[in-house]
Amino acid sequence: MTDLSALVEPHRVHRSIYVEPDIFAKEMEKIFGGTWVYLAHESQVAEPNDFLTVRLGHRPVILTRDADGQLHGLLNRCAHRAATVCNEECGSAKNFQCSYHGWTYSNRGDLVNVPFADGYPVDFDKSDYGLSQLPSIGTYRGLIFGTLNPDPSSLLDWLGPAAPLIDEFVDRSPTGRIELRNRQRMIYRGNWKLAWDNAGDGMHPTFAHRSFVLHNENQHGGERSLSQFKSNPDDTGMYGEDLGNGHMFVDQRPGLTGSFWETQRPVPGHEWYADRIESEYGDSSADVLEMAPGSMVNLSIFPNLLIKGNHLETIDPISVDETRLCTWVATAEGAPDEVNVMRMRIAEDFPSLGNPDDLELFERCQEGLGVSEVEWVDMSKGLGHPSEQVSAEGVRRGPVTHEGPMRGYIRAWLELMEADTKRVVVDSESVKREVAG
Amino acid sequence: MTAEPPSVVDDGLYERLAQFASTRRADAGPSDPSLRAEAELVLYHEARLLDDRHYRTWLDRFTDDCIYWIPLDLEGDPRQQVSFFLDDRRRMGDRIGLLETGWMHAQNPPSRTCRVVSNVEAWPLENGDTLVRCTVVTWEYRRDQLTPFVSRNDYELAAMGDEWRIRKKIVGLVDSVGDVRKFAFIL
Repeated sequence: MTDLSALVEPHRVHRSIYVEPDIFAKEMEKIFGGTWVYLAHESQVAEPNDFLTVRLGHRPVILTRDADGQLHGLLNRCAHRAATVCNEECGSAKNFQCSYHGWTYSNRGDLVNVPFADGYPVDFDKSDYGLSQLPSIGTYRGLIFGTLNPDPSSLLDWLGPAAPLIDEFVDRSPTGRIELRNRQRMIYRGNWKLAWDNAGDGMHPTFAHRSFVLHNENQHGGERSLSQFKSNPDDTGMYGEDLGNGHMFVDQRPGLTGSFWETQRPVPGHEWYADRIESEYGDSSADVLEMAPGSMVNLSIFPNLLIKGNHLETIDPISVDETRLCTWVATAEGAPDEVNVMRMRIAEDFPSLGNPDDLELFERCQEGLGVSEVEWVDMSKGLGHPSEQVSAEGVRRGPVTHEGPMRGYIRAWLELMEADTKRVVVDSESVKREVAG
Repeated sequence: MTAEPPSVVDDGLYERLAQFASTRRADAGPSDPSLRAEAELVLYHEARLLDDRHYRTWLDRFTDDCIYWIPLDLEGDPRQQVSFFLDDRRRMGDRIGLLETGWMHAQNPPSRTCRVVSNVEAWPLENGDTLVRCTVVTWEYRRDQLTPFVSRNDYELAAMGDEWRIRKKIVGLVDSVGDVRKFAFIL
């Protein structure tokens, strides 16, 4: 393995972290195996015996809630001959029976039945053959995280200054809870970190989303969605933050010239639903309408959760040059139905009109990264600039076009990649097995 | 810049779409041969307009109260679920307007497409419109990749004088819930 520290300099990173399969394999161990990874939202496994199939990096996981309400992250891999035992995306089940030879597991992961039990060695003990599971599961404000690290820092410590920003996101709902609806999956031909770079990048919208900015100005006039990026975004007060531990924050709110609703470009149902809310809620209708558009912030929880608009998006690495993005729209619990209907149409707006350009650019980057003779990727904007400030909590803030958030996550990436983190799977209540490598 | 009519989307329209989605798989019986022959001409013309990227002319083939919907959940209620998109005429105009800026990188270079329209069936509806169901394979070539988009499409066609207009176009991708490649052309 290459000396990883040689691949990260203060102002640039080496191309190999985007293109080398060995480094990708190490990331699956050290990053997606070594620290808290977002798995799902509680509304997706709300009731006892609910389950949801998710991924921990490349590993298929069944996230279950047992009859007592306890969450389990079961590796979806039969202890017998390795077949996945759960092949549905979500549902309710007390047991999972492997279709291959009928081994049956409880939703706590215990092996409860082996058919035709005669013939196994005399010391064959079912309690040694549970579905292996994650040693650590944690939740914060409905977000469920898991890791193979048996001794991770507390989830709250890991989130650090990102935690109150998660609060702000979910507290846009009257009840302080969100509920996830159906999801969309998109694939791009590029490394997973290209999506991560982009999430902390407040310079790209002016250029990457030029069609969206230009069209809105021409067609709908005024200061509408993304108009804050039509000229130098740093003149607007928008900022980006390196929150530590790889988490990043981009705040577009200072760039808005009106409320979220006033600056939302029109979407299907705009007039009818706005009229209905105005006639029903009178003086408070402006506050009600304000819940419909996206949050105008990009909060990225390393290594795989992007909170943006009204979406939770996960980055699932498939291989060094292929990545899946899963996007769930969040509804505001306790908000009028009209608000959540509007959220559906708003949630389709930029993703279908603007995101294809992001994916296009990720693919162009991956193609360019194939040039082995040009080795470095620059992230120097704002480094050492006088406008960069560090708060008492260690949050580093800079103007929105600066690349501080990217430099911050790459430092966290390197730290995790070099750490001597143990990975453990729990085979049964008594057997916790450390994994080599 | 072309002004498009304001949104026609309201709760009544959603109700009809939800009803439409929930009965998508109901057997409508054998189709009407003469309606089918007329519908085929409309669909082939639409496919040709899109393959040749005559997007404004394509939009003119729709009624003012039209809906162009690509759902994720083919049988779900669009009030409860997010779609790839559910467009009224105004947002269809936006989709074309973005392409016309010349700055939509995901269409630079533009996709070359070839649509194969098949299994066309048509039935009369109570309101005088015509329900059409068909299967479509849209092949997209772009940047060295040939990608198929496979769908079962539903249309509602309105007779306006001696012309047909499209009142609804619903594209049911067979892999809508799977890993979909990005598409920035009009499907």
